[in-house]
Amino acid sequence: MRITWRGTELGLLIPILLIVPFGFVVTHIAMSGVLEPGPLELALGYVGLIAGAHLALVAFGHRGDQLLLPAVGALGGIGLIMLNRLPQDLAGTRAFGLELGMASTQLLWFGVGVVVMLAVAVGLRDDGILRHYKYTWAAIGIGLLVATMVFGYEVNGARLWIDLGPVSVQPGEIIKVVLVIFVAAYLAETRTLLTSARMRIGFISIPPLPYFLPMLALFAIVMLIVVRLNDLGTALLFFGTFLTMLFVATGRRSYVLLGLLLFAGGSYAAYQLFGHVQTRFDIWLDPFADPLGRGFQPVRALYALGRGGIFGEGLGQGLVTLGGGLTIPFVHTDFIFAAIAEELGLVGAFALLGVVAVFVFRGLRIAALARDDFGGLLAVGVTTSLGIQALIIIAGNTKLIPLTGITLPFVSYGGSSVVASFAMVGLLLAVSHRSRVGTDAEAGLDR
Amino acid sequence: MTGDVLRVLLLVLQLGFVALLYLVLMRFAATMLRDLRSAEEAQIASRSGIGRLSVLESPEDEPPAGSTIALGPINSIGRNVNNTIYVEDDFVSTNHAMLTFRGRSWFIEDQGSTNGTYVNGHRIDRPVALSFGDELTVGRVRMRLDR
Repeated sequence: MRITWRGTELGLLIPILLIVPFGFVVTHIAMSGVLEPGPLELALGYVGLIAGAHLALVAFGHRGDQLLLPAVGALGGIGLIMLNRLPQDLAGTRAFGLELGMASTQLLWFGVGVVVMLAVAVGLRDDGILRHYKYTWAAIGIGLLVATMVFGYEVNGARLWIDLGPVSVQPGEIIKVVLVIFVAAYLAETRTLLTSARMRIGFISIPPLPYFLPMLALFAIVMLIVVRLNDLGTALLFFGTFLTMLFVATGRRSYVLLGLLLFAGGSYAAYQLFGHVQTRFDIWLDPFADPLGRGFQPVRALYALGRGGIFGEGLGQGLVTLGGGLTIPFVHTDFIFAAIAEELGLVGAFALLGVVAVFVFRGLRIAALARDDFGGLLAVGVTTSLGIQALIIIAGNTKLIPLTGITLPFVSYGGSSVVASFAMVGLLLAVSHRSRVGTDAEAGLDR
Repeated sequence: MTGDVLRVLLLVLQLGFVALLYLVLMRFAATMLRDLRSAEEAQIASRSGIGRLSVLESPEDEPPAGSTIALGPINSIGRNVNNTIYVEDDFVSTNHAMLTFRGRSWFIEDQGSTNGTYVNGHRIDRPVALSFGDELTVGRVRMRLDR
């Protein structure tokens, strides 16, 4: 058997993996004022990890897309540089007698994420286990949500965490993956029915209800619980992903219109019913009304963006502190984009957005070339889920939309988010591997 | 003095860092452009058509297992050689099933065969809409509908 080298991937990874230690060195010089490289263990650990992932894909003869790993590697690298630069006591683990700072913990989670990604990408040669057990996946998702409601504990008004001894996990991140798999499997099976049958009420042709019922029921349950858990960012994310997948599966604009109307109604209801939604909305409209209280976080983020300007304050030179603490609360999770924009400026922020765009473009291309409906819908779901997530939090950081606290995939600190996002990349790799193998065998091109 | 040197050096390093980021982005863009133009893309586009059947299992090897059959809008399946898709198998009827593309989807209809037509393991008793990736079984021959 001939080895399939992943040359494109390697060519892209080399400059990316140079950037990470380089960023560490610049940060160290700027912060210490001494001309020396400083500790590089974490940067080199990250380089080794991503290079290892590349070698593992080569070793398994994987034929999947070669731009995904570099794109994800670049996002994770920028994130790690930034997390290493922030005070290490913002987060971390204390378990098994080990005490790890924030950046070390994140690197540990990157390791877990890469292993999960490889397992999914290589192990999923047959997608039967995903599509045939769709109700099992749905049940797992709902089970996790219920578990969060019962055993979960609150952080900042949102009940998202379950404590599992040494680590806390955010089940919402796992539910995201499971839900995409379920919806893709369901839509792939009923797609033709959903497009051919129709019911009409007046001018609007509405979905043939019986075929939608299982999916809508599941979705209503998820939304209800998500709202109960006060996790509006995730609710918005689920909704956007679901609507996109539905549109791709059926090609019906009326469904999208209906969905947007539902969303507008739902938002209005949420605004009337929940105090914290009102607060979020008011802060968004006028953060300067209460700059030291409720508006503190967004106001500080806006100042950070302003200080960054076009070229940035420089790595390790931004993030002006206020009374010893960092100016933006949750700068390592929700506001990592504001921190990057402050230190790297508009140019750096654009580069980050560019990498996200590359990822989304490749994901949709994988969907377009997928061999079957299920693979295509799965790729669409995974890509839009990660893309919308980045959009929601970046738009929230820049006060384009009201802020909802979710992570910036691969960049923000957070184990559950990192592992779930890597699992989704694994799914994309698996889908693209299958389509590639099919076409090459036919054309007699066994490159 | 040393402070100034350090500041200038940091500025240079910072610009170098951002420049490297854009170098990476340009390489991404170049790769994607090359991909879009590549022959593989053209090849995938050319085979698009409305669909094809991949033969997964065929005991008598007619059609051969592992082969793919390009589909027109109307395809008859059966043991009679006048069928569009001729299947050599004792468990297949003379005129076994019709596979047709209507509007935007594929449909399969059994033509009163003795041993029936199966979609994903379920025997059908009326015309059934197919999705890409579905498995058809006529007699002992298993085929998959692909794009």
